[in-house]
Amino acid sequence: MIKTLAILRRELIAYFSSPLAYLVMTGFLLLQGLIFYLVLAFLNNPGSQTMAPMEAFFGGTIFFWLFLLFVVPVITMRLIAEERKTGTIEVLLTSPVTEAQIITGKFLAALVFYTALWLPTGLYVVILRRYSEIDLGPVLAGYLGVVLIGFLFLGIGTFASTLTSNHLIAAILAFVGLVALFAVPLVEQLLVSDSLFKAALGYMDLWSHMEDYAMGIVDTRHVVYELSVGLLFLFLATRSLEIKKGR
Amino acid sequence: MIEVENLSKVFVDTAVVDDVTFFVPEGQILGFLGPNGAGKTTAMRMITTFLRPTAGTITVAGINADDDPVGLRRNIGYLPENVPLYPEMRIDEYLRFRADIEEVPHRHQGARIDDVVERCLLSDVRRQVIGTLSKGFRQRVGLASALIHQPTVLILDEPTVGLDPNQIIRIRELLVELGQDHTVLLSTHILPEVETVCDRVLIINRGRIVADGTPDGLRSRMAGKPILEVVFKDAPEDQVLGTFESLTGLLGVDCLDDGRFRLECDTTGDLREPIFRLAVDRGWTLLEMSPGKASLEDVFVRLTTDEQADPAEEA
Repeated sequence: MIKTLAILRRELIAYFSSPLAYLVMTGFLLLQGLIFYLVLAFLNNPGSQTMAPMEAFFGGTIFFWLFLLFVVPVITMRLIAEERKTGTIEVLLTSPVTEAQIITGKFLAALVFYTALWLPTGLYVVILRRYSEIDLGPVLAGYLGVVLIGFLFLGIGTFASTLTSNHLIAAILAFVGLVALFAVPLVEQLLVSDSLFKAALGYMDLWSHMEDYAMGIVDTRHVVYELSVGLLFLFLATRSLEIKKGR
Repeated sequence: MIEVENLSKVFVDTAVVDDVTFFVPEGQILGFLGPNGAGKTTAMRMITTFLRPTAGTITVAGINADDDPVGLRRNIGYLPENVPLYPEMRIDEYLRFRADIEEVPHRHQGARIDDVVERCLLSDVRRQVIGTLSKGFRQRVGLASALIHQPTVLILDEPTVGLDPNQIIRIRELLVELGQDHTVLLSTHILPEVETVCDRVLIINRGRIVADGTPDGLRSRMAGKPILEVVFKDAPEDQVLGTFESLTGLLGVDCLDDGRFRLECDTTGDLREPIFRLAVDRGWTLLEMSPGKASLEDVFVRLTTDEQADPAEEA
């Protein structure tokens, strides 16, 4: 536990001592702010449908997903790849730390950083509350969804980072993996017959998961899906670290 | 302390380490000597469990590497080749991180960090960011971090490479000091280092051990026939050679430049006196006479150059 926390802490030091972190945070907040503005402008239009602003903010736009698809690989790309490139992986793997502890510590650091990215968007809720009534339930469920989907995506990114010593390749691998997962509903729509396969793919539709969270519906099936697939990739990351070590 | 039995590592189809067996008793400083690419780093990486051996067993401090790799690592302080460090951290930040992952209890961490900082002469720079340090300081930070958990065994891969002569001397002094209460396995291709620091030398070439012994022992074993070097002033070469033929116990003469002769003697008698008398008789001025000493360098070159790298030679 102490060792995992030490790795987590070291990773956060690494995040915040690189300009990349500030670049990502600034870009993220600028664009999120723009989207928030667009959502409000759209909903202020008398002709548009009625919808809670935060619901639209979380689940209603493609922008939400575009960010996740680009930002997550950037957050995770250096986790293990950097250690391989500089050789510090040798220090970690010859100290009394297990591969699982390394992956856990690093993944949690990425999750903390990712959550920190979203924290300032809480201001939007504060602003909204000054002008209208807000149902906090769906907002909190929306944030839960953000963290859960982040858990899944960051798990994939962490796994990608164990596969190479090159940041760029790690980021691209993660991006491809995320896009593939995100594109599952497209495949589902192409299937005509009402097969079991189609139904199974339907469960994996992340867009609809996020829509549900944003409406305040916390479906345990969704939660289990995000957590279990995230954990599966963390397990694979651990194995990948163990296997690559032998060579 | 370190037991290595029939250790092999095959990459694709070249054996980088080939059936190596050796034992390092507690408190010994063992030097791993060999040309670049001899398999030193690979062997060390297997002992520290960073690489999995193709075959063979490794035991450190009584713990088998297959049974309990994490337990084995607890007993080892390892300085990898090229000293990988996190450039963005400060020295004391990094040492605290290492203390955490090496399981140093929190209440001892302060004292341990002070101790290694002092030992490795880092007191003046401990708040500095590692990325701004020179090679010599980086080396010392690496060494300090390897000592943080008071390991019984130290494994150091080329600890003095890239340092200036003053730093080398300091690090060597530190190594000798550490050797008093640690078992040390260090690799190097710098011969004087072995002579000043190590109790015992393993010469490794192409993944195999080609010699094993104390630096002195190796030197005398390889020295072969005693050598005398003699320098005369104004002595005609052919006359000298002719006169030497009459000496008993002389096996051969090499004529070098400037009246310098290299005599190979047998081990029965001392030729220095007869040579002196001969010179006096003939009226040659004897400028210099000294016993030639085989250096460890000769031993090393003999063992690791191809035509003589026959393992049978070690007998």
